[in-house]
Amino acid sequence: MKTETLKECINIEHLGFSYDTEEPVLRDVNLYAVKGESIGLIGANGIGKSTLLKLLVGLDLNYSGKLEIVTHPMVKENVNHIREHIGYVFQDSDSQLFMTTVEEDVAFGPLNYGLDKEEVEKRVKYALSKVHLLELRKKQIYKMSGGEKKLASIATILAMHPDIILMDEPSVALDPKNRRVLINILNEMPQMKLIASHDLDFIMDTCERTVLMDDGTIIFDGPTEKIMHDREMLERHGLELPLRFQR
Amino acid sequence: MSKIEKNLREVKKLNELQMRDGILNGLHPVVKLVTTILYILALVSFPKYQVVPCFVMCIYLILLFNLGDLSIWDGIRRMKLILPLVCVVGIFNPFFDHTEITRVGIVITGGMVSMITLMLKGIYAVLASYILIATTSIEDICYALRWFHMPKILVTVILLIDRYFYILGEEAGRIMAAYKLRAPKQNGIHYKAWGPLVGQWLLRSMDRAEVVYESMSLRGFRGEFTYAGRKSFRWVDIAYLVFWCAVFYLLRYTAVLEMLGQMFI
Repeated sequence: MKTETLKECINIEHLGFSYDTEEPVLRDVNLYAVKGESIGLIGANGIGKSTLLKLLVGLDLNYSGKLEIVTHPMVKENVNHIREHIGYVFQDSDSQLFMTTVEEDVAFGPLNYGLDKEEVEKRVKYALSKVHLLELRKKQIYKMSGGEKKLASIATILAMHPDIILMDEPSVALDPKNRRVLINILNEMPQMKLIASHDLDFIMDTCERTVLMDDGTIIFDGPTEKIMHDREMLERHGLELPLRFQR
Repeated sequence: MSKIEKNLREVKKLNELQMRDGILNGLHPVVKLVTTILYILALVSFPKYQVVPCFVMCIYLILLFNLGDLSIWDGIRRMKLILPLVCVVGIFNPFFDHTEITRVGIVITGGMVSMITLMLKGIYAVLASYILIATTSIEDICYALRWFHMPKILVTVILLIDRYFYILGEEAGRIMAAYKLRAPKQNGIHYKAWGPLVGQWLLRSMDRAEVVYESMSLRGFRGEFTYAGRKSFRWVDIAYLVFWCAVFYLLRYTAVLEMLGQMFI
């Protein structure tokens, strides 16, 4: 298991990526993030947010440029080690949760990393208590509501004690109460977080720094407060002001 | 509710049965698997004309359906696709085997007797398997298979097929629902739509399966499911296995019914 307690979490320089087509999905992306930061990743549909997240967990290694996670270059030999440091919460919880019960799903990661029975149990309890689902540990996944599934997805990641958490549209399909619960949970989490979302109000509530992407590259990287008030820039890149600022 | 949805609900109900806190559910999966295999082996080892001793093997099923708080009718209903097949196995025996056998003063052909024996064997074996799957999750069954050193690739394939089956079912349900909502007056699916629907179904289920696999590999999955944290054997498990071994031995190799009959007559 991991031993590093380094400050640097993500170091991306001149990152480029394209699928089989000639048109690049990502172009000259630069991003540096350190421990404890919470970064919002915003942008219109199809501009490469999810692709960037997938590259960060090594689901595709055919990129150009530099991509380092906790100082390890993202290459085939390092992928397994890097994945011990990084957790990825998928947009669709139904695809993320594949075991029968919540506790089995949460234990899946720690078991695969060869932890002993007691440690696995400790981590399952820790992760489920963090997302307030401890009493549902025996519940079958298909009986859970959308909000519970989203929280369970986060628990599956927390059980692996990652340094970095990536989230793809975490607030999708959540009712206001569950959305608030999720915001509180995220704000309590000490890990470095990179949250891709169209929900700008959600980003405002969870991230102090925001990265705006368009056309496969980073247009803005700075304080969330600044970008969220910039109507012109948001609209120019296919977004709108957060609802709380709209009349 | 569509047929697909009904079938998915049935699978989910079976899942619920597996998750209960019953006596049978609590037994060690290896013990349950071994008992089921021994039962089936004892059952199939009866000679073809021994219909009565074979019939008595239902003791195991009756006790386990009660012990596991399972409904025998639900069992038969859920196994309705397989049961006719096992019944058909010996259907031609009466045509080929004309040996005359006398049972309780009645002369019948050996073919009839062997057909009944085969049917009983088939039905009992299917119901015994049902008891196993209704009280043991697929993960536990696979754990038991691995305990017997079944190749990990085979066990992993079983588990992945189980998961892919759900995805296929869910996607089929969604596609059917979307189709029906836009073709409310149609009975079933128009043949012109079969191709695109099946294509979409496969593509969508493969996409979802890929995401599931990505999710698994991001959490350390390297081709084998890990089963740490499974419970160890308890004395109840051993007692259960020893008890059933003794019962199967008695039913198979001693004339229990005759002995019982002589006690009362």
